[in-house]
Amino acid sequence: MTNNEAFFGRQLPLRTAPTPELTGTPALKALGSRLQCQRCGHWLGPDDQLANQAWYCRQCLQLGRLTSQDKLYTIPEPNQSPKLANGGLTWTGELSAQQRVAAQSVLAHVQAQTNHLLWAVTGAGKTEIVYPALAWALSQGWRVAWTSPRVDVCLELAPRLQAAFADVPQTVLYGDQPQPYRYCPLTVCTTHQLLRFKAAFDLIVVDEVDAFPLATSPMLKRAIDHAQKPSGCHLYLTATPGERLQRRVARKELAVTYVPLRYHGHLLPQIDLQIAWRWREQLRRRKLPARLIHQLRGYLRAGQRFLLFVPHVADLAVVDQALHLAGITGGVTVHAADEARQEKVQAMRDQKVAFLVTTTILERGVTFPNVAVVILGGDDPVFSTAALVQIAGRVGRSAQFPTGDVTCYCHSYARRVRLARGMIARLNLQGRRQGGRP
Amino acid sequence: MNACVWCGRRLGGVVTVSQLWRWGPLIKSAVCAACQTRLTPISILHCPQCGRQQTDETICRDCQRWTGPPLVNHALYVYDAAMKAYMQQYKFQGDFALRRVLQEPLRLALARETYDVLVPIPVDQATWQQRGFNQVTGWLQTQPFQQDLLVRASHKDQPQSAKDRAARLRTAQPFILAPHAADILMGQRVLLLDDVYTTGRTLRHAAAQIYLGGAKAVTSLTLAR
Ligand SMILES: [Zn+2]
Ligand SMILES: [Zn+2]
Ligand SMILES: [Zn+2]
Repeated sequence: MTNNEAFFGRQLPLRTAPTPELTGTPALKALGSRLQCQRCGHWLGPDDQLANQAWYCRQCLQLGRLTSQDKLYTIPEPNQSPKLANGGLTWTGELSAQQRVAAQSVLAHVQAQTNHLLWAVTGAGKTEIVYPALAWALSQGWRVAWTSPRVDVCLELAPRLQAAFADVPQTVLYGDQPQPYRYCPLTVCTTHQLLRFKAAFDLIVVDEVDAFPLATSPMLKRAIDHAQKPSGCHLYLTATPGERLQRRVARKELAVTYVPLRYHGHLLPQIDLQIAWRWREQLRRRKLPARLIHQLRGYLRAGQRFLLFVPHVADLAVVDQALHLAGITGGVTVHAADEARQEKVQAMRDQKVAFLVTTTILERGVTFPNVAVVILGGDDPVFSTAALVQIAGRVGRSAQFPTGDVTCYCHSYARRVRLARGMIARLNLQGRRQGGRP
Repeated sequence: MNACVWCGRRLGGVVTVSQLWRWGPLIKSAVCAACQTRLTPISILHCPQCGRQQTDETICRDCQRWTGPPLVNHALYVYDAAMKAYMQQYKFQGDFALRRVLQEPLRLALARETYDVLVPIPVDQATWQQRGFNQVTGWLQTQPFQQDLLVRASHKDQPQSAKDRAARLRTAQPFILAPHAADILMGQRVLLLDDVYTTGRTLRHAAAQIYLGGAKAVTSLTLAR
């Protein structure tokens, strides 16, 4: 990599110019009486000052502190990557008829350089649906970023993309990545890392656009806009668009391609609602709803493995005790900060444990063939509509076991549960029209 | 728009009965209730020489190994994962606003110490340029202090945090006395102030110089041990 390549489409903070011909712009820009960070858009507060009188931005501190002593250096993206024949696509898999239709639609929008939403149900194979459009973009010499707010999504995706596009140099960027930055036609990165770019990408694919923290962060939304070239476009991928995104679709501000069927052609499992009145008070006495115990015992007898979702990390130990008292054993609890998280998930994959009791961390990405899903307290606010649909989507992922149970125990029929069931019902209605099987 | 300086969550404007009772000006806390419990204060059970948290009040093994004049150190918090995370953001990421998390606890701790002159451990010129502040003086509000120590110009060494214990203990004297320091130090009881007590090497080097300046007694206070 030449020295200059490090600056292509990026904005790098330095105190002195790296080469005399490069001119920097202030990292913090005064607008009226206030300073705005030119990397993340944050307006500085009156106290955000160091002892040496310099100002600094607190919002994007994790990327390395920006102060009023720094300047940002950039070289406009020159698109120096060679145009790859076939876009470097080496993937030999095949799309289903339904996936092909969706892929064609995505490709057409990318070619027209319009922003687009691919709304594909969990298990539809949305990554593969994007391959033709990605291959076309790379064949044009476009610079592409594939980004997700979640680092685990990036880490899972990068090797898949590298295998499918074996001829395309790829750089992977996240908080504490071990590899140094490389200038590549394809960048896989967390959405945070886009803050280091400026008008770099012709196409940005935003994976899991509804996931935390992107859904609630104006900074990250701005990061996408700034990293994209003015002539560029972005493609949102999600199984569960939030209400705002759905409204933009309804108003026709954002074009959408629906994929209502999973790749194996089966409909989504609907959430079965069970009212468990005052389950939390019961749980305090280490008791679970009778119907839940009956159901889980049935699963154990039948050798049916399952995931039991609970609202909070603090609930895990209590539920675990209550399960033991009810004679339901052979599972483990796991949560986001659990040090043995990877091992426990792997033990479930290897069929060494019969069930996992978990919080919302397993809502995305993690898949097990042939599991049932049970949610205790689905009416708790931690379960957003999107999270509930994602959790239900853990069931029936493999072609071998395309169906299964999703049961949700609630104290009351909460709005979010109702919306989640409504979203699944609507998707299944469309799916049936396309020949989906229950 | 009043947010916790550490976690960023909004601070509730709840006024407690005891605050009203005292009928003073309401102290606006910079830190939320949850963050105030993140750090672990060192209890009464600590080493009487270095302030390390332990299960009894005997002199710890590290202190027994020191020869030469003893240096009594008091420490406020255990240097645990939460304190390391705090120091990481404050010192190394350079989030100067986090000084406010420890300003109030330090004010109370200084009020309990007996001393005539407060001398914070200085940072070298390169660190000052890069960081833009001295992490130790950042914790002081209106308490008077004297910058009687300077970092030797030739002291271009690795930072203490990058060394193992043996290497730290071999470190050469990094400090010199500031010009006219003796005028201030002569016959005084001096309290040194530093961020973390790790081996005690830095503070002992500092104490040796302060004694050369004519101080009568030198003790130290650190935020973490
Ligand atoms: Zn910023
Ligand atoms: Zn806080
Ligand atoms: Zn000791």
